[in-house]
Amino acid sequence: MPERTAPSFGEMLARLVSRPTILMEVCGTHTVSIFRNGIRSLLPKELTLLSGPGCPVCVTDQSEIDAALSLASLSGVTVTTFGDLLRVPGRDGSLLDARGRGADVRIVTSAFQALETALREPERQVVFLAPGFETTAPSTAAVLLEAAEKKATNFSVLSLHKLVPPVLRVLAADPNLAVDGLLLPGHVSVILGEAPYSFLPEQHGIACAIAGFEAEEILLGLTELLRQIRTNRPTVRSLYGKAVRPEGNARARELMERVFRPVDAPWRGLGVLPSSGLALREEFLPWDAAQRFPLPTTPAQVETGCRCGDILTGKLTPPECPLFDNPCTPASPVGPCMVSSEGSCAAHYRYALRGTP
Amino acid sequence: MSRLTLGHGSGGRLTQQLVHRIAECFPLTGHDMEDCAIAPDGSGATMDGFTVTPRFFPGGNLGKLAACGVANDLAVRGVRPEQLLLSVIAEEGFDEEELLAHLRNAGAVCDALAMRLVGGDTKVVPRGAVDGLFLSACAMGREIPRREERLGAARLQPGDTILLTGPAGRHGATIAAARYELDVPGLTSDCAALWPLLAPLLSLPGLRAMRDCTRGGVGTVLCEWAESRHLGISVEERAFPVDPGVLSVADLLGLDPLYLACEGTAVVAIAPEEAVEALRLLRSHPLGAEAAAIGVVTEEHPNLVSLTTRIGGRRLVDMPVGELLPRIC
Repeated sequence: MPERTAPSFGEMLARLVSRPTILMEVCGTHTVSIFRNGIRSLLPKELTLLSGPGCPVCVTDQSEIDAALSLASLSGVTVTTFGDLLRVPGRDGSLLDARGRGADVRIVTSAFQALETALREPERQVVFLAPGFETTAPSTAAVLLEAAEKKATNFSVLSLHKLVPPVLRVLAADPNLAVDGLLLPGHVSVILGEAPYSFLPEQHGIACAIAGFEAEEILLGLTELLRQIRTNRPTVRSLYGKAVRPEGNARARELMERVFRPVDAPWRGLGVLPSSGLALREEFLPWDAAQRFPLPTTPAQVETGCRCGDILTGKLTPPECPLFDNPCTPASPVGPCMVSSEGSCAAHYRYALRGTP
Repeated sequence: MSRLTLGHGSGGRLTQQLVHRIAECFPLTGHDMEDCAIAPDGSGATMDGFTVTPRFFPGGNLGKLAACGVANDLAVRGVRPEQLLLSVIAEEGFDEEELLAHLRNAGAVCDALAMRLVGGDTKVVPRGAVDGLFLSACAMGREIPRREERLGAARLQPGDTILLTGPAGRHGATIAAARYELDVPGLTSDCAALWPLLAPLLSLPGLRAMRDCTRGGVGTVLCEWAESRHLGISVEERAFPVDPGVLSVADLLGLDPLYLACEGTAVVAIAPEEAVEALRLLRSHPLGAEAAAIGVVTEEHPNLVSLTTRIGGRRLVDMPVGELLPRIC
């Protein structure tokens, strides 16, 4: 048996925890990496790790899926989007179900592929459903600029984009949530820099570490958080190397600002949060699917009993939701946290449902 | 109203449930109902349908996939592939030269195995009735006589060593890269006939079971083994042979290589005292150059597969549920 470095990781964390501590990983990519690398099995018992609201699919509201479904039902319309959005249930099934009934729903891996589809098939109206945070919004913006330049009149975007700092503001102000530290996503921070997070330590005393997604990077992030908590000096510290500059990526932000304006947006289970979403600016309205096509105006929410809102804010862990495992499973998800590969419910189900073997 | 989704065809839990419902339609069925049926006299037969988009991919094409696929289903049961029946369903307007290109590749695989084409069926259907070209193949052969009980998951025992003949997920990653237009230099499908690699293992009395890890990947095979024998399987992430191209595709698309399909890579269970010799035999063939012992069968955590991760954490390996969908970012 080769010599293991493993116990030292667990011991290292244990040495840094002096009192019961609650940390939250904000981003879904972190959630999955934490489960896939078995990091939870290494945590000392005083340390609780919660999953936060940073899974783009999970926070997509039912009304947004309903809008997508109504687009998919129009003849001549091709709906393109990222794969894991396809299984999210709306009022009347998911986009995957719609595809099974004959709707033209296609998976793309980038906004550019969606525009290419439109240029290749001028006889179709191609709509790109654009979910995601500051990581994907700049590329949607770039594609909209290109669509405008190429006068691609058969291309449009339904913006489901959301912003990370506004939801963290809501979380931090929630008296029912006692989080000591936040593990912040590297890729979002590459765009935003460190400044948008500074209110967290300054106003709420929350420790912040920006970290990458490899196992070692996450462990490094956790130790940094524990160190800040131990010394009682919360701050925003980037461990993502040179990729995160304190000021972020100004060019990507300019692109976003050129094309989008912040709007109040619905988050699954959290309600409408102020200035937390992105809508197309007036100049780009000709490429706004919400303008081009008739969409349901006041979509009725279905009462499913899904506790996504509490899961996304760390108030409930997935197994504490009354629907977890019965009837909500990855095969027939009730809520989006069970849908996305990055959702905390799906991750719990897949990697921890039957305990750690 | 229940409709089939692509998830029902992706080899995981949903497929398992659908196959069960299909089998229930038949009053008389065999008792083990595996991919490959072996008669009491040792003759074996298997069949499989093949469709892939794109039809040509780095490392193979639909024709090669079909011939290797059925031959491998026999090979892992210790049955030498000897005869092939082939059904061709082509769409009206399909390029004949392309059809023959696929079949020449299938022919080359058969030639190398001394497998003979003995029959088949050819249909051309109206445009739109199929997507280009579907191939179905049936392979038949004879079991290599062994003194021990027939190979299969039923022979797994606590303490057995689990071997993997090469990096996991090369075929699945290659197809995903092609489908989502990712350029990954050096990544090719592992599509290959396994008989020459696996046949030498049949001389080892401690050989328990072999499986080619097609749809659902290595993870699914391990889960099926653990569940069927009510035993646990523990694997070590660091012991897995890896392909850098597979890792980068998996990373980009948010997929787990453990669940990506292989078309020329097998999992082997063998008595621990013969594991070293089995590895030597596997590694002496080019297809098995990277073969490795990845884990053990255990009485702990019955029905479950556990993975010790690179950093020493432990987690469950569960069967994937539906269609593998790439994630957002």
